[in-house]
Amino acid sequence: MTPLEILTAAMTGSPAPRVPVFCNLPDHGARELGMPAKQYFSKGEYVADGQLRLLRRYGYDNIWSLHYVGKEAELLGCREILFADDGAPNVADFVIKNLDDIAKLEIPTDITLHPAWQSVSDCLKILQSEVGTTHPTCAYVTASTTLPAILMGMDKWMELFLLGPFDVRDELLRKCSDFCQQEFAALRALGANVLIYSTPFGSPYFVSRKQIEQTVLPWMRRDLLPGGSEGLVYYCGMAAFNDVIDLVFDELHIKIHHISPLADLAEAKRLIGNRGLTCGVIDDIKMIHWSVEQTRAEVQRIVEIGKTGGHFLFGNGVMPMAVPEANIRTMVDAAFEYGRLP
Amino acid sequence: MLDAYIQSYNQAVFETDKPAALEVVNHALNDGFSPEDIVFKLVIPAIELMMTLIEKDPDANLAQHFMTAQIAADVTEKMLEKFSKPPEMIGRVVIGAAYGDLHSLGKRIVSGCLKSLMVDVVDLGTNVTAEKFVDTAVSESAQVIAVSAMMVHTATSAKGSLGVRSLLQERGLEQQIKLAVGGAPYRFDPELYTKVGADAWAPDGVTAAKVIVDLIREVKP
Repeated sequence: MTPLEILTAAMTGSPAPRVPVFCNLPDHGARELGMPAKQYFSKGEYVADGQLRLLRRYGYDNIWSLHYVGKEAELLGCREILFADDGAPNVADFVIKNLDDIAKLEIPTDITLHPAWQSVSDCLKILQSEVGTTHPTCAYVTASTTLPAILMGMDKWMELFLLGPFDVRDELLRKCSDFCQQEFAALRALGANVLIYSTPFGSPYFVSRKQIEQTVLPWMRRDLLPGGSEGLVYYCGMAAFNDVIDLVFDELHIKIHHISPLADLAEAKRLIGNRGLTCGVIDDIKMIHWSVEQTRAEVQRIVEIGKTGGHFLFGNGVMPMAVPEANIRTMVDAAFEYGRLP
Repeated sequence: MLDAYIQSYNQAVFETDKPAALEVVNHALNDGFSPEDIVFKLVIPAIELMMTLIEKDPDANLAQHFMTAQIAADVTEKMLEKFSKPPEMIGRVVIGAAYGDLHSLGKRIVSGCLKSLMVDVVDLGTNVTAEKFVDTAVSESAQVIAVSAMMVHTATSAKGSLGVRSLLQERGLEQQIKLAVGGAPYRFDPELYTKVGADAWAPDGVTAAKVIVDLIREVKP
Protein backbone atom coordinates (compact mmCIF):
# COMPACT_ATOMS: atom_id res chain seq x y z
CA MET A 1 0.00 0.00 0.00
CA THR A 2 1.15 3.55 -0.62
CA PRO A 3 1.37 6.00 2.28
CA LEU A 4 -1.76 7.69 0.91
CA GLU A 5 -3.64 4.37 0.98
CA ILE A 6 -2.35 3.64 4.50
CA LEU A 7 -3.67 7.02 5.67
CA THR A 8 -7.05 6.37 4.05
CA ALA A 9 -7.19 2.95 5.70
CA ALA A 10 -6.46 4.50 9.09
CA MET A 11 -9.25 7.03 8.53
CA THR A 12 -11.82 4.45 7.51
CA GLY A 13 -10.69 1.66 9.80
CA SER A 14 -9.82 -0.62 6.88
CA PRO A 15 -7.00 -3.19 7.10
CA ALA A 16 -3.47 -1.85 6.64
CA PRO A 17 0.03 -3.18 7.36
CA ARG A 18 0.83 -0.41 9.85
CA VAL A 19 -0.23 2.95 11.26
CA PRO A 20 0.64 6.04 9.19
CA VAL A 21 3.83 7.78 10.32
CA PHE A 22 3.99 11.55 9.75
CA CYS A 23 7.05 13.67 10.35
CA ASN A 24 7.20 17.44 10.15
CA LEU A 25 10.62 18.91 9.45
CA PRO A 26 9.73 22.36 8.10
CA ASP A 27 12.99 24.10 9.01
CA HIS A 28 15.37 21.24 8.22
CA GLY A 29 15.20 21.57 4.44
CA ALA A 30 17.66 24.46 4.38
CA ARG A 31 20.30 22.45 6.20
CA GLU A 32 19.59 19.51 3.90
CA LEU A 33 20.41 21.72 0.91
CA GLY A 34 23.30 23.45 2.70
CA MET A 35 21.88 26.93 2.27
CA PRO A 36 20.84 29.76 4.62
CA ALA A 37 17.18 29.76 5.67
CA LYS A 38 16.44 33.03 3.89
CA GLN A 39 17.68 31.65 0.59
CA TYR A 40 15.94 28.29 1.10
CA PHE A 41 12.56 29.89 1.69
CA SER A 42 12.93 32.32 -1.22
CA LYS A 43 11.95 29.76 -3.86
CA GLY A 44 9.36 27.01 -3.91
CA GLU A 45 11.81 24.83 -5.83
CA TYR A 46 14.23 24.87 -2.90
CA VAL A 47 11.54 24.04 -0.34
CA ALA A 48 10.21 21.21 -2.49
CA ASP A 49 13.72 19.86 -3.08
CA GLY A 50 14.59 20.05 0.63
CA GLN A 51 11.40 18.34 1.70
CA LEU A 52 11.69 15.61 -0.94
CA ARG A 53 15.27 14.89 0.15
CA LEU A 54 14.17 14.64 3.78
CA LEU A 55 11.35 12.31 2.75
CA ARG A 56 13.84 10.09 0.92
CA ARG A 57 16.28 10.21 3.84
CA TYR A 58 13.80 9.13 6.52
CA GLY A 59 11.02 7.44 4.55
CA TYR A 60 8.01 8.69 6.51
CA ASP A 61 4.55 8.92 4.96
CA ASN A 62 3.81 12.62 4.36
CA ILE A 63 5.28 15.56 2.50
CA TRP A 64 5.19 19.14 3.82
CA SER A 65 4.58 22.25 1.74
CA LEU A 66 4.67 24.78 4.59
CA HIS A 67 7.33 27.44 4.18
CA TYR A 68 6.85 29.31 7.46
CA VAL A 69 3.84 30.66 9.31
CA GLY A 70 4.81 34.25 8.56
CA LYS A 71 4.10 33.58 4.87
CA GLU A 72 0.44 34.33 5.67
CA ALA A 73 1.45 37.68 7.14
CA GLU A 74 3.45 38.41 3.97
CA LEU A 75 0.35 37.73 1.89
CA LEU A 76 -1.36 40.39 4.00
CA GLY A 77 1.34 43.03 3.72
CA CYS A 78 4.15 42.07 6.16
CA ARG A 79 7.44 43.39 4.81
CA GLU A 80 9.99 41.79 7.08
CA ILE A 81 10.64 38.27 8.28
CA LEU A 82 13.46 37.55 10.71
CA PHE A 83 15.11 34.39 9.41
CA ALA A 84 17.25 32.16 11.60
CA ASP A 85 19.52 29.35 10.51
CA ASP A 86 18.80 27.34 13.66
CA GLY A 87 15.02 27.66 13.89
CA ALA A 88 11.72 28.95 12.57
CA PRO A 89 11.41 32.41 11.00
CA ASN A 90 9.66 35.19 12.99
CA VAL A 91 7.34 37.94 11.76
CA ALA A 92 9.37 41.13 12.29
CA ASP A 93 6.95 43.67 10.85
CA PHE A 94 3.42 43.76 12.16
CA VAL A 95 0.91 44.81 9.52
CA ILE A 96 -1.41 46.18 12.21
CA LYS A 97 0.52 48.64 14.33
CA ASN A 98 -2.54 50.32 15.83
CA LEU A 99 -6.28 49.70 15.75
CA ASP A 100 -6.80 52.21 12.92
CA ASP A 101 -4.80 49.90 10.65
CA ILE A 102 -7.56 47.28 10.87
CA ALA A 103 -9.90 49.37 8.72
CA LYS A 104 -7.08 49.81 6.20
CA LEU A 105 -6.17 46.10 6.06
CA GLU A 106 -7.06 44.77 2.64
CA ILE A 107 -7.48 41.11 1.86
CA PRO A 108 -6.24 40.42 -1.68
CA THR A 109 -9.13 39.58 -3.98
CA ASP A 110 -7.09 36.61 -5.19
CA ILE A 111 -4.17 35.58 -2.97
CA THR A 112 -2.80 33.34 -5.70
CA LEU A 113 -1.87 36.46 -7.67
CA HIS A 114 0.19 37.85 -4.78
CA PRO A 115 3.99 37.62 -5.36
CA ALA A 116 4.42 35.91 -1.94
CA TRP A 117 2.19 33.04 -3.10
CA GLN A 118 4.45 32.14 -6.00
CA SER A 119 6.86 30.00 -3.98
CA VAL A 120 4.00 28.13 -2.27
CA SER A 121 2.45 27.41 -5.63
CA ASP A 122 5.75 26.35 -7.20
CA CYS A 123 6.51 24.09 -4.25
CA LEU A 124 3.14 22.35 -4.29
CA LYS A 125 3.25 21.79 -8.04
CA ILE A 126 6.62 20.02 -7.72
CA LEU A 127 5.47 17.94 -4.74
CA GLN A 128 2.35 16.91 -6.60
CA SER A 129 4.25 15.82 -9.67
CA GLU A 130 6.86 13.92 -7.62
CA VAL A 131 4.84 12.19 -4.90
CA GLY A 132 1.28 13.48 -5.15
CA THR A 133 -0.19 10.15 -6.15
CA THR A 134 1.51 8.20 -3.38
CA HIS A 135 1.95 10.52 -0.38
CA PRO A 136 -0.40 12.77 1.58
CA THR A 137 0.53 16.41 0.93
CA CYS A 138 0.37 18.59 4.04
CA ALA A 139 -0.29 22.32 4.06
CA TYR A 140 -0.88 24.79 6.88
CA VAL A 141 -3.66 27.35 7.40
CA THR A 142 -4.00 29.62 10.42
CA ALA A 143 -7.55 30.03 11.70
CA SER A 144 -9.18 33.46 11.57
CA THR A 145 -9.16 33.73 15.36
CA THR A 146 -5.41 33.14 15.56
CA LEU A 147 -4.20 34.86 12.37
CA PRO A 148 -4.34 38.33 14.01
CA ALA A 149 -1.55 37.22 16.36
CA ILE A 150 0.93 37.33 13.46
CA LEU A 151 -0.55 40.55 12.11
CA MET A 152 -0.40 42.59 15.34
CA GLY A 153 1.43 40.50 17.98
CA MET A 154 -0.10 38.01 20.36
CA ASP A 155 -0.38 40.39 23.32
CA LYS A 156 -2.14 43.10 21.32
CA TRP A 157 -4.45 40.50 19.80
CA MET A 158 -5.26 38.95 23.16
CA GLU A 159 -6.12 42.43 24.44
CA LEU A 160 -8.39 43.19 21.48
CA PHE A 161 -9.95 39.74 21.62
CA LEU A 162 -10.83 40.06 25.30
CA LEU A 163 -11.42 43.77 25.76
CA GLY A 164 -12.52 45.07 22.39
CA PRO A 165 -13.62 47.39 20.88
CA PHE A 166 -15.60 44.39 19.68
CA ASP A 167 -16.80 45.92 16.43
CA VAL A 168 -13.15 46.47 15.47
CA ARG A 169 -12.23 42.96 16.61
CA ASP A 170 -15.04 41.48 14.52
CA GLU A 171 -14.05 43.51 11.47
CA LEU A 172 -10.55 42.05 11.74
CA LEU A 173 -11.93 38.55 12.25
CA ARG A 174 -14.16 38.88 9.21
CA LYS A 175 -11.17 39.89 7.08
CA CYS A 176 -9.04 37.08 8.48
CA SER A 177 -11.83 34.58 7.86
CA ASP A 178 -12.13 35.77 4.24
CA PHE A 179 -8.39 35.19 3.89
CA CYS A 180 -8.63 31.78 5.50
CA GLN A 181 -11.38 30.69 3.11
CA GLN A 182 -9.27 31.75 0.13
CA GLU A 183 -6.17 30.03 1.46
CA PHE A 184 -7.98 26.71 1.95
CA ALA A 185 -9.34 26.85 -1.60
CA ALA A 186 -5.98 27.80 -3.11
CA LEU A 187 -4.10 25.03 -1.29
CA ARG A 188 -6.69 22.42 -2.20
CA ALA A 189 -6.57 23.53 -5.83
CA LEU A 190 -2.82 22.82 -5.78
CA GLY A 191 -3.35 19.30 -4.45
CA ALA A 192 -2.86 19.70 -0.69
CA ASN A 193 -5.03 17.06 0.93
CA VAL A 194 -4.00 17.18 4.61
CA LEU A 195 -4.68 20.71 5.84
CA ILE A 196 -3.29 21.58 9.24
CA TYR A 197 -5.85 24.04 10.64
CA SER A 198 -3.90 25.92 13.27
CA THR A 199 -6.25 27.24 15.91
CA PRO A 200 -4.62 27.87 19.30
CA PHE A 201 -7.62 30.01 20.29
CA GLY A 202 -9.64 26.83 19.86
CA SER A 203 -7.84 25.35 22.86
CA PRO A 204 -9.01 25.75 26.46
CA TYR A 205 -5.37 26.42 27.27
CA PHE A 206 -5.75 29.81 25.57
CA VAL A 207 -9.32 30.86 26.39
CA SER A 208 -12.22 29.42 28.34
CA ARG A 209 -14.61 26.89 26.87
CA LYS A 210 -17.32 29.53 27.07
CA GLN A 211 -15.21 31.92 24.97
CA ILE A 212 -14.51 29.12 22.50
CA GLU A 213 -18.21 28.35 22.15
CA GLN A 214 -19.38 31.97 21.98
CA THR A 215 -16.62 33.67 19.99
CA VAL A 216 -14.13 31.25 18.45
CA LEU A 217 -16.41 28.53 17.08
CA PRO A 218 -18.66 30.81 15.01
CA TRP A 219 -15.60 32.20 13.23
CA MET A 220 -14.09 28.75 12.71
CA ARG A 221 -17.42 27.62 11.21
CA ARG A 222 -17.20 30.58 8.84
CA ASP A 223 -13.58 29.72 7.91
CA LEU A 224 -14.70 26.27 6.81
CA LEU A 225 -17.99 27.23 5.23
CA PRO A 226 -17.11 27.15 1.53
CA GLY A 227 -14.78 24.14 1.42
CA GLY A 228 -15.89 22.00 4.33
CA SER A 229 -13.69 20.10 6.75
CA GLU A 230 -12.47 17.27 4.51
CA GLY A 231 -8.79 16.55 5.20
CA LEU A 232 -8.52 19.10 7.99
CA VAL A 233 -6.40 18.48 11.07
CA TYR A 234 -7.44 20.28 14.25
CA TYR A 235 -4.17 21.65 15.64
CA CYS A 236 -3.87 24.03 18.54
CA GLY A 237 -0.19 24.92 18.24
CA MET A 238 0.79 22.03 20.56
CA ALA A 239 -1.70 23.14 23.23
CA ALA A 240 -4.05 20.54 24.69
CA PHE A 241 -7.72 20.48 23.67
CA ASN A 242 -9.24 17.19 24.88
CA ASP A 243 -12.06 19.13 26.57
CA VAL A 244 -13.39 20.40 23.24
CA ILE A 245 -12.92 17.32 21.04
CA ASP A 246 -16.65 16.59 21.09
CA LEU A 247 -17.39 20.20 20.23
CA VAL A 248 -14.99 20.05 17.29
CA PHE A 249 -16.75 16.96 15.93
CA ASP A 250 -20.24 18.35 16.47
CA GLU A 251 -19.71 21.90 15.30
CA LEU A 252 -16.86 21.72 12.79
CA HIS A 253 -16.97 18.08 11.67
CA ILE A 254 -13.15 17.93 11.73
CA LYS A 255 -12.12 14.31 12.06
CA ILE A 256 -8.33 14.42 12.48
CA HIS A 257 -7.07 15.64 15.85
CA HIS A 258 -3.44 16.53 16.57
CA ILE A 259 -3.13 15.70 20.27
CA SER A 260 -0.70 17.74 22.35
CA PRO A 261 2.11 15.81 24.08
CA LEU A 262 0.87 17.56 27.22
CA ALA A 263 -2.61 16.00 26.87
CA ASP A 264 -3.80 12.57 27.97
CA LEU A 265 -3.50 10.59 24.73
CA ALA A 266 -5.52 7.62 26.00
CA GLU A 267 -8.38 9.95 26.93
CA ALA A 268 -8.19 11.64 23.52
CA LYS A 269 -8.26 8.26 21.76
CA ARG A 270 -11.31 7.28 23.80
CA LEU A 271 -13.07 10.56 23.00
CA ILE A 272 -12.33 10.35 19.28
CA GLY A 273 -12.89 6.61 18.97
CA ASN A 274 -13.85 5.44 15.51
CA ARG A 275 -15.31 8.81 14.54
CA GLY A 276 -12.00 10.05 13.22
CA LEU A 277 -8.25 9.84 13.45
CA THR A 278 -6.21 10.41 16.62
CA CYS A 279 -2.77 11.79 15.94
CA GLY A 280 -0.46 10.83 18.81
CA VAL A 281 2.34 13.37 19.01
CA ILE A 282 5.80 12.92 20.49
CA ASP A 283 7.30 15.73 22.57
CA ASP A 284 10.05 16.62 20.13
CA ILE A 285 11.46 19.34 22.38
CA LYS A 286 12.50 16.64 24.84
CA MET A 287 14.05 14.80 21.90
CA ILE A 288 16.82 17.42 21.86
CA HIS A 289 18.33 15.86 24.96
CA TRP A 290 16.95 12.32 24.84
CA SER A 291 19.08 9.30 24.00
CA VAL A 292 17.97 7.09 21.12
CA GLU A 293 16.76 4.57 23.72
CA GLN A 294 14.55 7.20 25.39
CA THR A 295 13.21 8.27 22.01
CA ARG A 296 12.43 4.70 21.06
CA ALA A 297 10.71 4.00 24.38
CA GLU A 298 8.50 7.08 24.04
CA VAL A 299 7.49 6.14 20.50
CA GLN A 300 6.58 2.69 21.76
CA ARG A 301 4.48 4.15 24.58
CA ILE A 302 2.56 6.47 22.23
CA VAL A 303 1.97 3.90 19.52
CA GLU A 304 0.84 1.25 21.98
CA ILE A 305 -1.74 3.63 23.42
CA GLY A 306 -2.93 4.65 19.99
CA LYS A 307 -2.88 1.73 17.62
CA THR A 308 -5.34 -0.52 19.44
CA GLY A 309 -8.57 -0.29 17.49
CA GLY A 310 -6.91 1.55 14.58
CA HIS A 311 -7.92 5.09 13.61
CA PHE A 312 -4.48 6.25 14.69
CA LEU A 313 -1.64 8.27 13.21
CA PHE A 314 1.80 8.88 14.69
CA GLY A 315 3.33 12.34 14.39
CA ASN A 316 5.54 15.01 15.90
CA GLY A 317 5.34 18.75 16.56
CA VAL A 318 7.74 21.06 14.75
CA MET A 319 10.98 19.15 15.39
CA PRO A 320 13.55 21.68 16.62
CA MET A 321 16.72 21.74 14.52
CA ALA A 322 18.72 20.93 17.67
CA VAL A 323 17.25 17.40 17.75
CA PRO A 324 20.03 14.96 16.80
CA GLU A 325 19.54 13.23 13.48
CA ALA A 326 19.86 9.84 15.22
CA ASN A 327 16.77 10.65 17.29
CA ILE A 328 14.74 11.60 14.21
CA ARG A 329 15.81 8.39 12.51
CA THR A 330 14.99 6.37 15.63
CA MET A 331 11.60 8.05 15.96
CA VAL A 332 10.57 7.19 12.41
CA ASP A 333 11.98 3.65 12.48
CA ALA A 334 10.41 2.88 15.87
CA ALA A 335 7.04 4.21 14.73
CA PHE A 336 7.16 1.86 11.72
CA GLU A 337 8.21 -1.06 13.91
CA TYR A 338 5.78 -0.60 16.80
CA GLY A 339 3.04 0.59 14.45
CA ARG A 340 2.81 -2.75 12.61
CA LEU A 341 -0.74 -4.04 12.58
CA PRO A 342 -1.82 -7.69 12.67
CA MET B 1 -17.37 44.77 53.52
CA LEU B 2 -13.85 44.34 52.17
CA ASP B 3 -14.47 40.62 51.91
CA ALA B 4 -17.38 41.26 49.57
CA TYR B 5 -15.19 43.47 47.40
CA ILE B 6 -12.43 40.86 47.37
CA GLN B 7 -14.90 38.21 46.27
CA SER B 8 -16.41 40.39 43.52
CA TYR B 9 -12.99 41.49 42.30
CA ASN B 10 -11.66 37.92 42.19
CA GLN B 11 -14.74 36.77 40.32
CA ALA B 12 -14.32 39.52 37.74
CA VAL B 13 -10.62 38.70 37.25
CA PHE B 14 -11.36 34.98 36.97
CA GLU B 15 -13.97 35.70 34.29
CA THR B 16 -11.54 38.04 32.50
CA ASP B 17 -14.06 40.88 32.93
CA LYS B 18 -11.94 44.01 33.26
CA PRO B 19 -14.81 46.56 33.38
CA ALA B 20 -16.40 44.63 36.27
CA ALA B 21 -13.08 44.53 38.15
CA LEU B 22 -12.58 48.28 37.71
CA GLU B 23 -16.13 48.90 38.90
CA VAL B 24 -15.38 46.97 42.11
CA VAL B 25 -12.29 49.12 42.65
CA ASN B 26 -14.27 52.33 42.15
CA HIS B 27 -16.98 51.22 44.57
CA ALA B 28 -14.36 50.34 47.15
CA LEU B 29 -12.74 53.77 46.77
CA ASN B 30 -16.13 55.49 47.08
CA ASP B 31 -16.75 53.50 50.25
CA GLY B 32 -13.66 55.02 51.78
CA PHE B 33 -11.04 52.36 51.25
CA SER B 34 -7.59 53.85 50.65
CA PRO B 35 -5.53 53.30 47.48
CA GLU B 36 -3.10 51.36 49.70
CA ASP B 37 -5.97 49.08 50.79
CA ILE B 38 -6.96 48.54 47.18
CA VAL B 39 -3.46 47.42 46.19
CA PHE B 40 -2.42 45.48 49.27
CA LYS B 41 -5.77 43.99 50.29
CA LEU B 42 -7.47 43.54 46.94
CA VAL B 43 -5.06 43.41 44.01
CA ILE B 44 -2.11 41.56 45.53
CA PRO B 45 -4.29 38.92 47.25
CA ALA B 46 -6.08 38.42 43.91
CA ILE B 47 -2.76 37.71 42.18
CA GLU B 48 -1.79 35.37 45.00
CA LEU B 49 -5.14 33.63 44.70
CA MET B 50 -4.61 33.17 40.98
CA MET B 51 -1.16 31.70 41.74
CA THR B 52 -2.78 29.24 44.14
CA LEU B 53 -5.50 28.37 41.65
CA ILE B 54 -2.92 27.76 38.94
CA GLU B 55 -0.97 25.49 41.28
CA LYS B 56 -4.11 23.44 41.94
CA ASP B 57 -5.39 23.61 38.40
CA PRO B 58 -2.60 24.09 35.85
CA ASP B 59 -5.26 24.31 33.16
CA ALA B 60 -6.20 27.88 34.09
CA ASN B 61 -6.18 29.49 30.68
CA LEU B 62 -3.88 32.06 29.14
CA ALA B 63 -6.67 34.63 28.92
CA GLN B 64 -7.08 34.45 32.70
CA HIS B 65 -3.36 34.90 33.21
CA PHE B 66 -3.31 37.84 30.82
CA MET B 67 -6.29 39.57 32.41
CA THR B 68 -5.01 38.95 35.95
CA ALA B 69 -1.85 40.80 34.99
CA GLN B 70 -3.51 43.55 32.96
CA ILE B 71 -6.14 44.40 35.53
CA ALA B 72 -3.63 44.26 38.38
CA ALA B 73 -1.12 46.46 36.55
CA ASP B 74 -3.75 49.03 35.52
CA VAL B 75 -5.29 49.28 38.98
CA THR B 76 -1.90 49.42 40.69
CA GLU B 77 -0.66 52.15 38.38
CA LYS B 78 -3.74 54.27 39.08
CA MET B 79 -3.60 53.65 42.82
CA LEU B 80 0.13 54.36 43.12
CA GLU B 81 -0.50 57.93 41.97
CA LYS B 82 -2.79 58.32 44.97
CA PHE B 83 -0.59 56.68 47.61
CA SER B 84 0.17 58.93 50.58
CA LYS B 85 3.87 57.97 50.28
CA PRO B 86 5.73 55.89 47.70
CA PRO B 87 5.61 52.19 48.55
CA GLU B 88 8.74 50.24 49.42
CA MET B 89 9.72 48.18 46.40
CA ILE B 90 10.73 44.54 46.84
CA GLY B 91 13.45 44.72 44.20
CA ARG B 92 14.16 45.16 40.52
CA VAL B 93 14.05 42.85 37.51
CA VAL B 94 15.32 43.31 33.97
CA ILE B 95 13.00 41.48 31.59
CA GLY B 96 12.96 40.89 27.84
CA ALA B 97 12.51 38.37 25.05
CA ALA B 98 15.62 36.43 24.06
CA TYR B 99 17.79 37.36 21.11
CA GLY B 100 15.98 36.49 17.87
CA ASP B 101 12.61 36.23 19.63
CA LEU B 102 9.89 38.77 18.88
CA HIS B 103 7.13 37.40 21.13
CA SER B 104 5.93 39.66 23.92
CA LEU B 105 2.78 38.17 25.50
CA GLY B 106 4.49 36.15 28.25
CA LYS B 107 6.76 39.04 29.18
CA ARG B 108 3.77 41.36 29.42
CA ILE B 109 1.91 39.00 31.79
CA VAL B 110 4.96 38.64 34.03
CA SER B 111 5.62 42.40 34.04
CA GLY B 112 2.02 43.24 34.94
CA CYS B 113 2.03 40.88 37.92
CA LEU B 114 5.46 42.02 39.10
CA LYS B 115 4.52 45.70 39.07
CA SER B 116 1.53 44.95 41.28
CA LEU B 117 3.74 42.95 43.62
CA MET B 118 5.88 46.07 44.09
CA VAL B 119 8.77 44.99 41.89
CA ASP B 120 10.45 47.56 39.64
CA VAL B 121 10.42 46.25 36.08
CA VAL B 122 12.91 47.34 33.43
CA ASP B 123 11.42 46.05 30.18
CA LEU B 124 13.98 45.76 27.38
CA GLY B 125 11.42 44.63 24.80
CA THR B 126 12.03 41.83 22.33
CA ASN B 127 15.10 40.48 20.49
CA VAL B 128 17.46 41.44 23.33
CA THR B 129 21.14 40.51 23.32
CA ALA B 130 22.75 38.78 26.28
CA GLU B 131 25.08 41.75 26.70
CA LYS B 132 22.16 44.17 26.95
CA PHE B 133 20.47 42.03 29.60
CA VAL B 134 23.59 41.91 31.75
CA ASP B 135 24.73 45.50 31.17
CA THR B 136 21.26 46.81 32.08
CA ALA B 137 20.98 44.59 35.15
CA VAL B 138 24.29 46.00 36.37
CA SER B 139 23.49 49.64 35.60
CA GLU B 140 20.00 49.34 37.13
CA SER B 141 21.16 47.32 40.15
CA ALA B 142 18.63 44.59 39.35
CA GLN B 143 18.55 41.35 41.32
CA VAL B 144 17.03 39.25 38.53
CA ILE B 145 17.28 38.94 34.75
CA ALA B 146 14.17 37.33 33.25
CA VAL B 147 14.48 35.97 29.71
CA SER B 148 11.37 34.99 27.81
CA ALA B 149 11.64 32.65 24.80
CA MET B 150 8.72 31.28 22.82
CA MET B 151 10.76 29.32 20.31
CA VAL B 152 13.10 26.42 20.92
CA HIS B 153 16.04 27.94 19.08
CA THR B 154 15.77 31.24 20.94
CA ALA B 155 15.49 29.39 24.26
CA THR B 156 18.54 27.21 23.63
CA SER B 157 20.73 29.58 21.61
CA ALA B 158 24.15 30.57 22.90
CA LYS B 159 23.00 34.16 22.35
CA GLY B 160 20.05 33.77 24.74
CA SER B 161 20.00 32.55 28.34
CA LEU B 162 23.22 30.62 27.88
CA GLY B 163 24.89 33.85 26.81
CA VAL B 164 23.52 35.67 29.86
CA ARG B 165 24.84 32.88 32.11
CA SER B 166 28.30 33.07 30.51
CA LEU B 167 28.48 36.82 31.04
CA LEU B 168 27.32 36.57 34.65
CA GLN B 169 30.01 33.96 35.21
CA GLU B 170 32.75 35.92 33.43
CA ARG B 171 31.96 39.08 35.36
CA GLY B 172 31.60 37.37 38.73
CA LEU B 173 27.96 38.44 39.09
CA GLU B 174 26.29 35.11 39.81
CA GLN B 175 25.72 35.82 43.48
CA GLN B 176 24.20 39.27 42.88
CA ILE B 177 22.07 38.56 39.80
CA LYS B 178 19.83 35.54 39.32
CA LEU B 179 18.53 34.28 35.97
CA ALA B 180 14.91 33.21 35.39
CA VAL B 181 13.47 31.89 32.12
CA GLY B 182 10.03 31.17 30.77
CA GLY B 183 8.12 30.46 27.57
CA ALA B 184 6.51 27.60 25.70
CA PRO B 185 9.60 25.36 25.20
CA TYR B 186 10.09 25.09 28.96
CA ARG B 187 6.57 23.74 29.41
CA PHE B 188 7.36 20.86 27.08
CA ASP B 189 10.67 20.07 28.78
CA PRO B 190 10.64 21.09 32.45
CA GLU B 191 14.36 20.27 32.71
CA LEU B 192 15.30 22.59 29.87
CA TYR B 193 15.90 25.54 32.19
CA THR B 194 18.92 23.80 33.72
CA LYS B 195 20.37 23.19 30.27
CA VAL B 196 20.20 26.89 29.41
CA GLY B 197 21.92 27.93 32.62
CA ALA B 198 18.92 29.42 34.44
CA ASP B 199 18.39 29.45 38.18
CA ALA B 200 14.63 29.01 37.89
CA TRP B 201 11.74 28.80 35.45
CA ALA B 202 7.97 29.02 35.53
CA PRO B 203 5.33 27.34 33.40
CA ASP B 204 3.20 30.50 33.08
CA GLY B 205 3.42 34.25 33.47
CA VAL B 206 1.60 34.55 36.79
CA THR B 207 3.70 31.86 38.46
CA ALA B 208 6.80 33.47 36.95
CA ALA B 209 6.14 36.57 39.02
CA LYS B 210 6.22 34.46 42.20
CA VAL B 211 9.41 32.70 41.07
CA ILE B 212 11.08 36.04 40.37
CA VAL B 213 10.04 37.49 43.75
CA ASP B 214 11.55 34.39 45.41
CA LEU B 215 14.80 34.93 43.49
CA ILE B 216 14.91 38.59 44.50
CA ARG B 217 14.56 37.53 48.12
CA GLU B 218 17.46 35.10 47.73
CA VAL B 219 19.70 37.93 46.63
CA LYS B 220 18.20 40.67 48.78
CA PRO B 221 16.85 39.11 51.98
